Amino acid sequence: MSVIEVVNVSREVTWLPWAVQYFFLIGISVACFFMSLPYYLGRAQDSASLARTALIAAVVCGVVAPVALLADLHQPGRFWRFYTNPNLSSWMAWGAFFIPGYLVGLLVYAWAALKPDLAVAGQSGGPLARWHAIISLGDSPAPVVLKASAVFTVLMGFLILLYTGMEVMVVRARPLWNTPLLPLQFAATAFVGAAGLVMVLDRFMGNRDVGTVRAASQWLLWSLVATIVFGSLWYATGLSGLVRTHAEALASVAQLSSWKLTALWLAASVLLPLVLLWIVPSQHTWLGGVLALHAAWMFRWTVFIGGQSLPKTGAGEYAYHLPLGHDGLLGIAGTAGLWIATLIIVTPLIPSRSPKPAIGPTFVPAA
Amino acid sequence: MSDSRRNFLETLGALTVGAAAAVAAGAKSVSAASPAIPPQPRHRWAMVVDVAKCIGCQACTVSCIHENSVPEDSFRTIVSTYEVEEGGRAAMVMLPRLCNHCANAPCIPVCPVGATWQQPDGIVVVDGNKCVGCAYCVQACPYDARFINATTQKADKCTFCAHRVEAGLLPACVESCVGGARIFGDLNDPESMVSKLVSKGDAKVLKPELGTQPHVFYLGLDERLTGKVDGEQTLWKPLAKETH
Repeated sequence: MSVIEVVNVSREVTWLPWAVQYFFLIGISVACFFMSLPYYLGRAQDSASLARTALIAAVVCGVVAPVALLADLHQPGRFWRFYTNPNLSSWMAWGAFFIPGYLVGLLVYAWAALKPDLAVAGQSGGPLARWHAIISLGDSPAPVVLKASAVFTVLMGFLILLYTGMEVMVVRARPLWNTPLLPLQFAATAFVGAAGLVMVLDRFMGNRDVGTVRAASQWLLWSLVATIVFGSLWYATGLSGLVRTHAEALASVAQLSSWKLTALWLAASVLLPLVLLWIVPSQHTWLGGVLALHAAWMFRWTVFIGGQSLPKTGAGEYAYHLPLGHDGLLGIAGTAGLWIATLIIVTPLIPSRSPKPAIGPTFVPAA
Repeated sequence: MSDSRRNFLETLGALTVGAAAAVAAGAKSVSAASPAIPPQPRHRWAMVVDVAKCIGCQACTVSCIHENSVPEDSFRTIVSTYEVEEGGRAAMVMLPRLCNHCANAPCIPVCPVGATWQQPDGIVVVDGNKCVGCAYCVQACPYDARFINATTQKADKCTFCAHRVEAGLLPACVESCVGGARIFGDLNDPESMVSKLVSKGDAKVLKPELGTQPHVFYLGLDERLTGKVDGEQTLWKPLAKETH
């Protein structure tokens, strides 16, 4: 039997590029926060610069991400209904509580982690000394606050990774989303993007610290390996039919030529940073970071926008053309612009010297 | 008068008389009522679509748009039309699509603010005052039956024309169906046309494997069209090569 679809409706994408931006930024924020932990909890003295850069990235991405999410509601003022009418059978409803919890924890953690340096900068007589002195709230470190906020934010970070993955995974109506590996793939690619962002920030904020590049390369290497393992597992179990949902997901796109190109692009965007890590000298490793950022973003774009271009009942796929307005390119550029503006505002407020751990062994700055 | 309308009005009349009798009887026997049996909803609205009677005129599509002020480029219902070729013979197959008012509706639990729910009569509705336009329900519906209304920026869908049904009228799509392909009625009434047609056992639902328990039933629908249609798309494909 052959079927030609003569008349049908083409449904528009309803989770807009704003959603891609949100999932991209919040994932990177959580991953960057986790990357900062080994140093600020006093167990990895050789990653001071990485931790500071990662902490800045976590704060900037964490602050900007919910703005993109609010924009996806079309009227941002509607957000309060998440708190006045929560339907707790929905992962999205839980997310509305996890996001502020994570953000508050992250900001307290960042303050406690940077407090000793803020206090020192407050006494330095620089142009922002008065500001640094005020927000340091005293000269003494706050190890208890640091540890408590770290533990709380770790919990909230895990919950953010869990809810962002589950929110998409539970949608049975979309076979491409309804796969058990998706939350792990989101998490792994978040770390890919986070390591890439730290490399890029290290380069363009003028640090060019060898230790940062080396440590970020390790994070990138292992997160890329995890991404490849999850991707291979997804493909193998789908192709063999071992996992029904993976087989259905694969079948939903296997016959579409555009998706074959997308699959090749995705595979290349994951493998190329790995190759660059291998062959490019350390001063140019940031190029791998750019590709890693691309891989993390591309994965989310493919899942969200690509996933919504697959009809649930009709034949073929819906055509998607990126609008130039706020629902498309302008939204993406606007989020990026807000991110850069936030970075410009946040960076000077944070003392430029390498931070000293508030707890754990005494830190000796590298020569 | 079409079968559907006659059946619907008969049902309403019988229910009105029945309800009055029940109230009178209930006044005498309240103490005898068993508390273990939950009260049954009066109606369970459902639709049966006889695809053999559908001529694909889209009168239902247009009447729905007018009745419910559906914005341009959006549809609460549409007749998907397929050219099916088998054994050297080609035929047109019509498949009217709308919200299936599932008993186990996947759009309801995902709504983060509880803005969508199922009425006791089975109709799945959206409270526009609560809806935040997050489109989670749009994603969760396996039938592509929901969309974000471009005017209100909130979730929109077929309601079986609940406002008309409450007033004793048929849904607009049923009222306007030229071939009488859409039959609307009460599944709780064993004498209703929809009950009789569904009880025959040969009515199909879309994507039964998902367990959503749709309450839009199809008569004469090819099994191969109940899920995602595996066919050639002739919709807007600006980059496609001319093949026809």
